[in-house]
Order: sequence, then structure tokens, then C-alpha cells
Amino acid sequence: MKGLRWIVLAALLLCATSPLYLLVKVSVSPPAEVMTPHPSLIPHAVTWRHWQRILSSGQITAPLRKSLVVASSVAILALGLAAPAAYSLAQLPVRWRYGILLGLFLCRMLPEVSIALPVAVVFVRWGLQDTALGLMLAHLTMVLPVVAWVLTTTFSTIPRDVEEAAALDGCGTWRTLTRIVLPLALPGLAVSGLLAWLFSWEEFILATYLTLEAKTMPLQVYYYLYQGNWFVTAVAATLMTLPVLGLSAFLQRYLQETNLAGAVR
Amino acid sequence: MKGEDARKRAIPTTRFPRRRSRARRRHLWGLVPLILYLGAFTLVPVISTLLLGFRDAQGHWGLGALRSIASHYQFSDAVVNTLAITGLGLSLELGLGLMAAVILARRLPAQGLIRALLLIPLGVPTIVSASAMRSVFGTVGYLNEVLYRLGVIALPIDWTGDRWLALVTVAVADAWKVTPLVMLILLAGLQAIPRELYEAAQTDGAGPWHQFLRITLPLLRPALTMALIVRGIDAFRIFALPLALAGRHLPVLSTYAYVEYLEYGNQHTAAASSVILLLMILLTIGAYLRLAGPGEVLR
Repeated sequence: MKGLRWIVLAALLLCATSPLYLLVKVSVSPPAEVMTPHPSLIPHAVTWRHWQRILSSGQITAPLRKSLVVASSVAILALGLAAPAAYSLAQLPVRWRYGILLGLFLCRMLPEVSIALPVAVVFVRWGLQDTALGLMLAHLTMVLPVVAWVLTTTFSTIPRDVEEAAALDGCGTWRTLTRIVLPLALPGLAVSGLLAWLFSWEEFILATYLTLEAKTMPLQVYYYLYQGNWFVTAVAATLMTLPVLGLSAFLQRYLQETNLAGAVR
Repeated sequence: MKGEDARKRAIPTTRFPRRRSRARRRHLWGLVPLILYLGAFTLVPVISTLLLGFRDAQGHWGLGALRSIASHYQFSDAVVNTLAITGLGLSLELGLGLMAAVILARRLPAQGLIRALLLIPLGVPTIVSASAMRSVFGTVGYLNEVLYRLGVIALPIDWTGDRWLALVTVAVADAWKVTPLVMLILLAGLQAIPRELYEAAQTDGAGPWHQFLRITLPLLRPALTMALIVRGIDAFRIFALPLALAGRHLPVLSTYAYVEYLEYGNQHTAAASSVILLLMILLTIGAYLRLAGPGEVLR
């Protein structure tokens, strides 16, 4: 029984990690090692040729920049729009709060294609096709419900007594917010900002609908994939995964400790 | 007497309620931008998709667009493919996720490391997992090589050549990325089961298998339902993986809508298939709310 458990665990670990290992391996392998009927599983030689080719090609800087700009703006705007809403929600009676959160949950579950289609049609008319602004506005629709949700949890853990004490000591509403509430909510704000950033960084469907020329990173990876060059695809894909792995390692620690533990109890 | 009554009534109606309602109004202000935004960029688009779907290219109201996609063989393929990927994917994810969760719920050496490694796929962007899966499932890919070395196959398999094999491939690729999420949900559910139940079962002489069937599974039902619904809805909306792994040969509902709009410029058929997808999702959510109750979803 115990032995079996370790065998299953080893198999799961192998499955979980090997595709990413192979991706990185392909990105630094000489073609002869990969494009053969019997590719080697362990790297025998390492080459940076593909990385150099991509980084010097000039094709990757524009998508990188666009994705960075869009993701960062989405994160900031999402906090700006969702934080006041979450602060309000956290003070509402529980029934109301649940009702509105349920509505947000439903928004998040809608198919992207049913939102993307009319938005794309209208954005063509408004000249927002292919722009960072247009993509940002579209990404916010998917990000806001999640961010508002996480932040509502954050704000409802801040005891009202603290705010009332600050008010008694002569803090105005604004001062109470900036000096007391926001610092206490900082971890939650950071986490939901990161969530928003990550969502936008890897978003594919809305970007496909709203882009003709100015590709984002996921679209650029798809473009390489479509062309069929494994090495270039692997390099671009690895490049876009690097920031994600770092950020999500940080996030996962938070997610498993707080949100999900309470999600199903 | 009468005056006193009036005063008693006067106090609550004038002072407290006004203060409370002013306070409530102030609280609600924060919600306004969010609700306006979601109204303009989510509600309005979804409604206009509905409207588009119930009109045909000539602008006539009715089921014209729905009827025309219904007679389109690629659309019926898309429906079958979407359901098949969802069914296959969910069984894989729940099976593997449950196994992983049960193992992780016990004390293990290097638990933190094992957990972190198992969670890696969850963070990987979908398009990146598609790229990785291309090199795994390619004809000269790594899965064929491993199977060849193990002596399972003599000739390479074309994983995305045949329709049903391609469906399995897409479902496996999807399961790779999201099984960790199912694992997390189930793990949280497992950890909420009181230890004493197992101790009591052990004193009564119940074996591990019996304990699993009689304690773990029944008490895990809320977590299982939640994982099933959350993942089911995501699977209905699958887009990037079938497009990147099998291209146009394997339409699903989302990619069908995409091709109708961006390739053929037909907003109405694209909208009509989005409407079908929307209905499928709403039905699933409705079923879940019936099963679990709204409180359960949010707690």
C-alpha cells in the first residue's frame, strides 16, 4: 500500500513536470537532437542559437511590450475599480453581499466568445481594434469579478472596530481609508493585482478577437506554433512563462492557505 | 398619551433610519463604477450576442441563424467534440486529482516540495502548455519516443490525425494544466473531514478501502460537485488547446464561433453558436445552484 502510493506519486510528479522540462530542453537543443525519428530525452548538447535568433529578430520586443503594458494597466485599473466596490460589499449585509458576489461569479462564467464578438464589432467602429487600450478594456471584464471577489474577502477580515477607533481619534473618512484600511488590506491588494496581471498576460481569446497586427505574447507564441518551428515556439513560450512561474509560486502559497481552505467547507 | 406615542414613533422614523440610510448610501457608492463597467462591457455585449443570434444576415428576426448552423456539419461536430472533451477531461481530472489529493492529505517527507512541483502546471499559460504538448504529442514527439523505448509501439502514432484520438489528446493536454486545481479543491475538502471519523472507523475494524468508500467519498461530495462544475464550465469554453493542437479539423463551440466570425465574417452564425454555449453554461450553473444552494457556492 505504501509502496503503491509512492509509485503513483512518482508517476504524477513525472507527468506534471515533464512537459515543461521538454519545452525548455527543446529551446536549447540543437535541431539534430530534436527533429529526428528518435529524439533524445536528456540534453546531450546545449545551444543558445534559438534564443539569440528570437531575441535579435525584433519580432518579440513589440509583443513583449504590448503584453507588459496591457497586463500592468489591467492590474492597476482593476484595483482602482474593484477596491472601492469590494470595500462597499464588505460592509453590506451578508445576504446582499452574497447576492452581488453570485452575480459577479456568473459574469466570470460567461463564455468569452459571447462577450468578445460584440465587443470586437464595436471596437472596430471605435478604432480600438489592435490597440492596447481596447484589449485592456476587454480584459477588465474578465478580471474585475475575480479581483472584486478576492478583495471583498480581504476587506471583510478587517475589523470594523479598527476603523471606528480611528474615527474616534479624529481621523476623517479619507484619512481612515488611507492610513488604516489600505495598509491592512495591502496583502490582499497585492495578491489580487498579481492575479489580474497574470490573467491579462496569458489571455488568448479576447486578444485573438481584438488583434490584427499588434500581437501580444500569447498570440506571438501561437503564431510561431502555427508556423511549425518547434525551437522558436519553445523559446517564446519559455520566455513568457518565466515571469509567470515566479509570480504564481508566490500566489499559490496564498491561495491554498486562505481562499480554497474556506471555499468548500 | 397620544403625544408620547407620537414622540416614540418620531424618534425612530426621524433619527436612526435616516442615519442608517445615509450610511448605506455612502457604502453603495463604491459599487457604482464596477457595476457600470460590467454593465457596459459584459451585460450589453452578452445581450447583443443574444440579439445577433436570433436574427439572420438579412436582419429578419427568428431562428434563421440557429437553423443554418444546425444544418452545418461542422457545428454538430463542434457540439459533440465539446461534450466529448468535457467528459473525458473531467473524468481524468477528477480521477487523478483525487488520487493526488488523497496522497497529499497524509504526512509525507518533503511535502512542500512535492506539492509545489505538482502545482506547476496550474501556473503555466494555456498557449505555453499547448506548445509543450505539441512536442509531447507530435508524430516525432516525445510520447512516441518514450512508448517506443518501452516497447509499446513499433511505429509512431499520429496523435492528432484521427478525430477521436485528437479528442483524447486535447482532453489530456487540458487535464495536464487543470488537474492541480481539482487537486487543490479536493485537498481542501479532505482536510475539512474530521480525523476522529477515521479513528472511530479504525477501532470498528474498517480497512482503508472501506474508510475511503464510506467516509471520504460521501463527505467529499460538496468539494467534488464544486470541482465538477467549475471545471465543467471551463471545459465547455475550451478554445486555445484544440485550435493549437488540431487546428480547424477539430472544431469546438468556441472555435466554431471564432471561425464563423473571423474567417467567414458571419456575425449571426457566430452569435448563434455562442448562444448555444451560453445556454449550456447557464444550465450547468442552474443545476449546481439546485444541487448546492447559493450559499454553498460562496462560502
